[in-house]
Amino acid sequence: MIGIKSYGAYLPKYLLPRDLIGKAWDFPIVPGTKAVAMADEDSLTMGVEAGLDCISGIDPKTIDGLFFASTTQVYTEKDSASLIATVLDMREDIITTDFTDSLKAGTTAVARAVDTIKANKDIKSILVIASDTRVPEPSTMWEYGFADGAAALLIAEEETLPLSIDDYYSIAANVTGPWKRAGKDKFIRTFEVKMDSMFYFENLAKVMDKILKRNELKPEDISAAAYYYNNPRMHGRIAKMMKFAGGVAQNSVFFQLGDLGTPMSFILLIGALRRPKPDAKILMAGFGDGADAILLQVRDRNALRDLGKTRMGLIGHQKSMKSLNNYNKFLDFKELVEKDRYTRKSSAVTIWRDQASVYRWYGVKCKNCGAIQYPDMLRACYICRADDQMERVKLGLRGTIFTFTLDHLVGGTYLDTPVPRCVVDLDGGGRVLLNMTEIDKPEEDVKIGMKVELTFRKEHQGADFINYYWKCRPERGRP
Amino acid sequence: MSSRKGETIKEVDENMVRKGIKDKVAIIGCDMTKYGEIWDKNQYDLLFEAFQGSIKDAGIKKDEVDASWIGIFYYFTGLSGAMVEDILRLDGKPSTRVENFCASGMDAFRNASFAIASGAYDVVLACGVEKLMDEGGSGLPGFKLFGHPLYPTPSAPAMFSMAATRSFHEYGWTKEDLARVAVKNHDNGSYHPKAHFRSKITIDQVMKAPMIADPLGRFDCCAMSDGAAALILTRPELAESYAHADDYILVKANAISCQTNFPWYVPPGGPGSEFTHFPATEKAGAYAYKEAGITNPRNEIDCAEVHDCFTITELLNCQDLQFCERGKAAEELKNGTFNWDGEIAVNPSGGLKSFGHPIGSTGCRMLTEITKQLQGRAEGRQVPDAKVGLCHNLGGAFTVCSVTVLGQRD
Repeated sequence: MIGIKSYGAYLPKYLLPRDLIGKAWDFPIVPGTKAVAMADEDSLTMGVEAGLDCISGIDPKTIDGLFFASTTQVYTEKDSASLIATVLDMREDIITTDFTDSLKAGTTAVARAVDTIKANKDIKSILVIASDTRVPEPSTMWEYGFADGAAALLIAEEETLPLSIDDYYSIAANVTGPWKRAGKDKFIRTFEVKMDSMFYFENLAKVMDKILKRNELKPEDISAAAYYYNNPRMHGRIAKMMKFAGGVAQNSVFFQLGDLGTPMSFILLIGALRRPKPDAKILMAGFGDGADAILLQVRDRNALRDLGKTRMGLIGHQKSMKSLNNYNKFLDFKELVEKDRYTRKSSAVTIWRDQASVYRWYGVKCKNCGAIQYPDMLRACYICRADDQMERVKLGLRGTIFTFTLDHLVGGTYLDTPVPRCVVDLDGGGRVLLNMTEIDKPEEDVKIGMKVELTFRKEHQGADFINYYWKCRPERGRP
Repeated sequence: MSSRKGETIKEVDENMVRKGIKDKVAIIGCDMTKYGEIWDKNQYDLLFEAFQGSIKDAGIKKDEVDASWIGIFYYFTGLSGAMVEDILRLDGKPSTRVENFCASGMDAFRNASFAIASGAYDVVLACGVEKLMDEGGSGLPGFKLFGHPLYPTPSAPAMFSMAATRSFHEYGWTKEDLARVAVKNHDNGSYHPKAHFRSKITIDQVMKAPMIADPLGRFDCCAMSDGAAALILTRPELAESYAHADDYILVKANAISCQTNFPWYVPPGGPGSEFTHFPATEKAGAYAYKEAGITNPRNEIDCAEVHDCFTITELLNCQDLQFCERGKAAEELKNGTFNWDGEIAVNPSGGLKSFGHPIGSTGCRMLTEITKQLQGRAEGRQVPDAKVGLCHNLGGAFTVCSVTVLGQRD
């Protein structure tokens, strides 16, 4: 069967309370919070996080492809999927594709993954990652909605799977709904939101209705429906139109997390899988210039429960989120405040040559004395001084702080400081130097002996491309 | 000769020192400029002044200089040995620029010493200059231009702070222990006419200063500064025909040790992985003591200019130079061991804390200081009865250490 073998999610550490937005602009207050990525995060880094959550315990070398869906791709020319696959330490002989420009890119990527696996006997699994960091125009109502997050589904063909994908159905509809002109618009524009809503109802209801009918199912046969929404009232109206029973339509996300964009339906699905009923049929649907509906069925409850225990998923992230107390921090995270930003020189040549070390996170192990060390440019051993006895080893993504400082002086400037610089002893061996992120009170909270997790982040914009590297953060519990 | 478990080095590889330069090189003249924010002078003025002072001190004319070595760290101060030619017009004589982090100046002196000891030249110049303030004064410039595009590059204070954090943890030292280094050195510096800073400070001031790299604050860090220093060297048998015939100073030992540029990648168990000592200092010190025939540094050395780019650096260096036991430097400092009139005067000039650190010049400044201490003509505080002195630089990320031992002529 073809279906979902694993899932993972990523939600950034911070929540922005909506009343802070209201107070900032004297708007009517909307309740709840929304998830906000930091300045060192983008769709790509969040995609890596969701991918790591999803493939925990699965050898990345066994996965045959990576599809990355986002309306906020970090480059307009240069794909993200290949870089994410590299960071996840996947093989070279895999297929990679970016899906973009529509909020339904996530569900579309799932459908294409199913097609690809069906069509190609050499491709048995594809990791589909959806991620978005849509930046709302300040002082518009979009600010209440647009939020940041990512999710990943590992689509595979195996004898048994936690969930099967039994059918999908799509429609295309050309609507000038929300848009952003390439190279022109920084923020999303709209013409008439009431017309946008009409198309939302029409398209989503049409695909869900059609997929039920062609599978000879009735609304009451569906135990969970995970469809995109950006407004709780509209969500309720669809549930009513579809005649779903109470509790079927998944609506747990918007109030706390906001409108997550492409990963929204994945996140809703992951939320719905917490207490799987045997053989439950589940609908997932995405919307944007048309709509996709995907019909799934629970096949292995125990496997699903295991995933629930071993993945951070939705709940694991929600538990470790924290509210911002200041709207300006949100503006700063989104780089909407004009200020000088630290950069340094870069070289695409160096980074390409060193990608095993800087992206795939490999060190070396001395065959003579066994010492694990980083980076892999070293040809003679730090410990036994043997020459050329190094073999590559994959390094761990957790560790313990051996020593640290809080650096107020970065590159001869005082921008975005202090930066905690941490000497970290990695679990499984290797000592590295990492900057720390997601730390609120470094003077109080960074300590010798502190446990940290590694997270892939934006470092700087040297040479006018995005320079990514690993940082450490206080543990959030990623497997 | 491992020293990884805390014992000090006693045994040194004989091959490293048996052909040393002990008593083969004499310092016959030296001088340095005023150190500080010298807005109205450039690197050419500074080096010219230090050089003129040194040949005047030696009682020679510039044409008597056969060759020169100049310590410069930053490209913006100047590139190549031509810096000497353009300033001094030595008519095309050989000159070499030496760069070895904060040991650049003392390494220039080392190369000049080798030229004398080999007999290749009779009279040579060792000098150093750095013009930092033209680049602005907020931290060492150019760090964002160095190294790998992705691996983190901590600022200089951040590198040494990581040793402070770990020393607090291991030795139980406190920020106040570090503050005492700054208070002592600024006290000494207040007497020196050429120091950048000439005010005494209090522990309270140090403790309340803004953070630069936690736990190191403003007064734990040496300042950005401009300056130059120069020394004239010859063979001892020729030294008697120059101005300081009776009180020329002999080079007793000169050693350098290089360790990794990346101490944060040294796996646990490797040299320096404890972050509570500097293997480069330990090794260069041991080489130098062996060469000089010093067996008890604390008793045999009267005064020392020890690299105090940061307060923590001085404390750890004092231990690695075997002035005291590991973990005891803070206590010894508190008890006055390192005061100018204590058992072993550490930074009687005021150190980098009072002079700032124009990088390429600092080693030559220290050598000038100790030369004058041993001649009884120190410009600031004179250490009573100083006969043997030591100069020490530690540069990079605890990477390069240079140690020179100087002594009086027989």
